[in-house]
Amino acid sequence: MQRLTIGLALLIAAVPVHGQESESTPGSTPLFSPVTWERLVNAADEPENWLMYSGTLDSQHYSGLDQVHNRNVGELELKWAYQIPQLDRSETVPVVVDGVMFITEAPSNVVAVDAETGLQYWRYNHELPDDLRICCGRNNRGVAILGDTLYMSTLDAHLVAIDARSGNLLWNAETADHRAGYSKTAAPLIVKDQVVTGIAGGEFGIRGFVDSYDAASGDRAWRAWTIPGPDHPDNQTWAGDSWRTGGSASWITGSYDPDLDLVYWGTGNPGPDWNGDVRLGDNLYSDSALALNGTTGNMEWYFQFTPWDVHDWDAIQVPILADLEIDGEMRKLMMWANRNAFYYTLDRETGEFLVGKPFAKQTWAEGLDSNGRPIRAPNKLPTPEGNIVSPPVGGGTNWFSPAYSPRTELFYVQAYDGEDIFYKRDEDYVEGDQFTGGGSQRPLPIENYQSAIRAIDPRTGDIRWEYEIQPRSTAGIMTTAGDLVFSGSVDGFFYALDAVSGEELWHINLGRRIHTAPMSYSVNGKQHVTVAAGNVVYTFALNE
Amino acid sequence: MPMRSLWTITATALLASLCLITTPAAPRAQELNAHEFTTPLDIRMGERLFQQQCGRCHGIDAGGGELGPDLTSGYRTVSTDAGLFDIIRNGLPNSQMIGISRASTDQSVWMVVSYLNSLNETPDVNLPGNATNGEQLFAGKGNCSSCHMVNGQGGRRGQDLSRVGERRDPDELRSDLQNPDEEVPPRWWTLRVTRQDGSVVQGLRMGEDTFSMRIMDADENLWSFAKDSVQSYERITASTMPATGRTLTSSELDDLIAYLYSLRREES
Ligand code: HEC
Ligand code: HEC
Repeated sequence: MQRLTIGLALLIAAVPVHGQESESTPGSTPLFSPVTWERLVNAADEPENWLMYSGTLDSQHYSGLDQVHNRNVGELELKWAYQIPQLDRSETVPVVVDGVMFITEAPSNVVAVDAETGLQYWRYNHELPDDLRICCGRNNRGVAILGDTLYMSTLDAHLVAIDARSGNLLWNAETADHRAGYSKTAAPLIVKDQVVTGIAGGEFGIRGFVDSYDAASGDRAWRAWTIPGPDHPDNQTWAGDSWRTGGSASWITGSYDPDLDLVYWGTGNPGPDWNGDVRLGDNLYSDSALALNGTTGNMEWYFQFTPWDVHDWDAIQVPILADLEIDGEMRKLMMWANRNAFYYTLDRETGEFLVGKPFAKQTWAEGLDSNGRPIRAPNKLPTPEGNIVSPPVGGGTNWFSPAYSPRTELFYVQAYDGEDIFYKRDEDYVEGDQFTGGGSQRPLPIENYQSAIRAIDPRTGDIRWEYEIQPRSTAGIMTTAGDLVFSGSVDGFFYALDAVSGEELWHINLGRRIHTAPMSYSVNGKQHVTVAAGNVVYTFALNE
Repeated sequence: MPMRSLWTITATALLASLCLITTPAAPRAQELNAHEFTTPLDIRMGERLFQQQCGRCHGIDAGGGELGPDLTSGYRTVSTDAGLFDIIRNGLPNSQMIGISRASTDQSVWMVVSYLNSLNETPDVNLPGNATNGEQLFAGKGNCSSCHMVNGQGGRRGQDLSRVGERRDPDELRSDLQNPDEEVPPRWWTLRVTRQDGSVVQGLRMGEDTFSMRIMDADENLWSFAKDSVQSYERITASTMPATGRTLTSSELDDLIAYLYSLRREES
């Protein structure tokens, strides 16, 4: 008992110290202090750490560090590399807390390493059943942290709590039945004393939801269905029983506004993906941004980007929150570049549509009406013979993180100007099987298309500049206080652009696809920039 | 006596069937022969299954897609039906390639095998041409070997054709020879690079990305350029192969096609 009290006292005394970590001499203070909810709310005030998947609760994917900036970025050099033992293309964004880095690995493992050297403290290997139903590879995108505990989604649709100092399993909660096609890949989001988390399986005829679990016990606090049940009027937007297998998954990490107590989350495509005949109607709340009450999970508003989607254009993007002056008035905004190739600015208090414009090649809509609802172009639906439409299945962008810089007030997105031939097929639902109703094929070799990083003015939706990538990129983006934009490409390049002008300032070939977003942190006063390429996590810093 | 022999027969039969039952069951799938499921209906069922479970990655017509490779022109990792069965059933370790749904029967897997085989078939057709004459044309008058290698002999400015008969059928070969500009693969586009000093070098596009280019010029020299170190560069998507097929007599063309179509991996 005595010892416990002393421990607690030490713990409390230690909390305020973390901010000065960079000034203390290396080795004089222990690494890692507990991550309170207050620290998460104010994560922007400790830029030496990267405390969650998108950096901060508003998900700007912006690092406040400026030691590396647009005049010295050319001096970046490799500090260390960590090889994930599983061969795959890593989608992880590491979390760093006071000098300790947490990296998730395929299929559902996590490792803690020294952020200065990349050397291991511990590893947690999650035991998986051998009858998984997974759509898109054995991925995991990252952990969330609260107090001394890490939270991770697993491919068998469980949520696990792991002790951050030892890697020991604290609890293991089943969120859904993996045999019915449910799986989990995204980093959870901490909201107060809760762990909020989505679900994958949109290609298997699931019914999606967003869940919240008590961080201490793993008990479920609330579940928000992304498809309303028959007692709700919006259920009428699904013909017959189609809502039961309508997909609308939630396989990404959302954002949170502490002042409004609203959790923001994107939802995926309605199922079956390419055959909408069996689910006539708008199919609410597929392909939507949801605003959920952070205490009860009740839906405060929704905005559907693509009603009755037949092209697999999930609204599985990270919602970016920022406050900006528009027409002389400060507005609480949400910025969203959607897989359907349109960019949107919404009012995040009410869900009101403010701005919407295409940011990538699109042929499916003639535009958006005054409420932001698409005006469909004729003859752009999948057919049995096949029909060419832009954007392609992969979208004008996809799940990889966009970013925002409060310094430039620009929104940065990885855009793709492509096209696909879309086919429609008849299909019956079988539990645990894929349920897609068609497919797609690219009409020309990939070299005929290209990606670009586009900097968008959120006030107007206008593209300020673009930087072309050949042939393609599926990498997320980080902005920094050094006015840099970091991202990658499919052929393994990692590069830095000037956030103001879009000029390329530095690049290096890392040898394998970058399929995740970079992040940045500082240890012992030195800024590091980290990105996963292929199955290796690389960390760079300025030449001494 | 008759009674007894009957008994013996029955006993032997019983023993035999007992043996059948008690012999450890060999992997059933491996024993089943794909050829039991090769009717047009099986192939159509296989196609349906493929579109449902595989098309999302490999493209709906198996021609390659976002997540999976082309499956219509030979495989990198397998050469037998049993191998194909195994990949489809179990997936490939350490890759995005997942197996078919557990609920699918072995029969369904074989149907998918048959469907894939139907896309990769090189039917034994009777071609009008004479392959031996074609071989001579290839090295001689046609001047084909100045650009194409066959079994280690020839030039480097076109594909290695040692196994071209496995990936191109006779109609496609005819079109390759007569209309080379149709559907030139990006690897065989030309990059025309103007250096800072204004001098120009051009060659086949061996590699290109956002920052750099790698080419082979007409003398088979290799070059590498950083894009920001050159004045300009230009992509030419037309073919560098002459349309020789149009100047040959129709019987010469038939001979060349017969020769090219015979170029396969040696059967072992
Ligand atoms: C999630 C995407 C995905 C799905 C679904 C998928 N595949 Fe694959 N497949 C791949 C990838 C990626 C590879 C290449 C793996 C490698 O070589 O590392 C591959 C490889 C293969 C290969 C070997 C190709 C070669 O050249 O050796 C075959 C055969 C194959 N897949 C057949 C199928 C069939 C049949 C199905 C449906 C039952 C299927 N695949 C479903 C992604 C997928
Ligand atoms: C100047 C070099 C050159 C010469 C001479 C040439 N080719 Fe080609 N060939 C190419 C190139 C480059 C390609 C790839 C671009 C294309 O498809 O047109 C090609 C493509 C082909 C293909 C398609 C190969 C595949 O794998 O798809 C065939 C078949 C072919 N050539 C046969 C011939 C024959 C037969 C001759 C002689 C009559 C010939 N070529 C002469 C350069 C040449």
